[in-house]
Amino acid sequence: MRLVTAVVKPFKLDEVKTALEGIGVQGMTVSEVQGFGRQRGHTEVYRGAEYTVAFVPKVKVEVLVDEADATRVVDAIVAAASTGAIGDGKVWSTPVDEVVRVRTGERGADAL
Amino acid sequence: MRLVTGIVKPFKLDDVKIALESFGVHGMTVSEVQGFGRQRGHTEVYRGAEYTVAFVPKVKVEVLVDDADALDIVEVIAKAAQTGSIGDGKVWSMPVDEVVRVRTGERGVEAL
Repeated sequence: MRLVTAVVKPFKLDEVKTALEGIGVQGMTVSEVQGFGRQRGHTEVYRGAEYTVAFVPKVKVEVLVDEADATRVVDAIVAAASTGAIGDGKVWSTPVDEVVRVRTGERGADAL
Repeated sequence: MRLVTGIVKPFKLDDVKIALESFGVHGMTVSEVQGFGRQRGHTEVYRGAEYTVAFVPKVKVEVLVDDADALDIVEVIAKAAQTGSIGDGKVWSMPVDEVVRVRTGERGVEAL
């Protein structure tokens, strides 16, 4: 099993959710995060003074998936979250050893 | 080392914390997240109109543990967080390469 994590632009969350549901993903976890990438935040001018917004608000999406689906899920998130502008975010996948569904105690792929 | 992550119902956080402490876990990270699983959120009726609550509030608990303890800790969290009703959440464990305690620079198991 794998955990696919994506950090994307907040207004793209709905499209990511729709895309994931479209490929049969059954659940996800979403959190509000802040960060920066290559653009190193951006500068904003407010009342004549220049401020650097170092940490740009983003949304983190986490999905537990079967090994075989990981690439497909990564591709689906990338396609849905892409705007072509800087700050679109990143998507990655990490290995997971053991998953338990809390309600039933099911383990492994059954718990996804 | 392993990172054990649990997504659980917010009101179960205290039970999970107590269970982990009595198991001998010395620390944890908690964040507020939102998500859905098989139940696909739930519908609520407000003033006669039906709304779908797509993302249900959850709590994410993260614990860094020794390899030997990982499965036990997954079990401890799953047991403590269980209510038997839908939306109880998931618990999983992932391999971690390197851990550093920021204050001292200790590495590996000593940093846990």
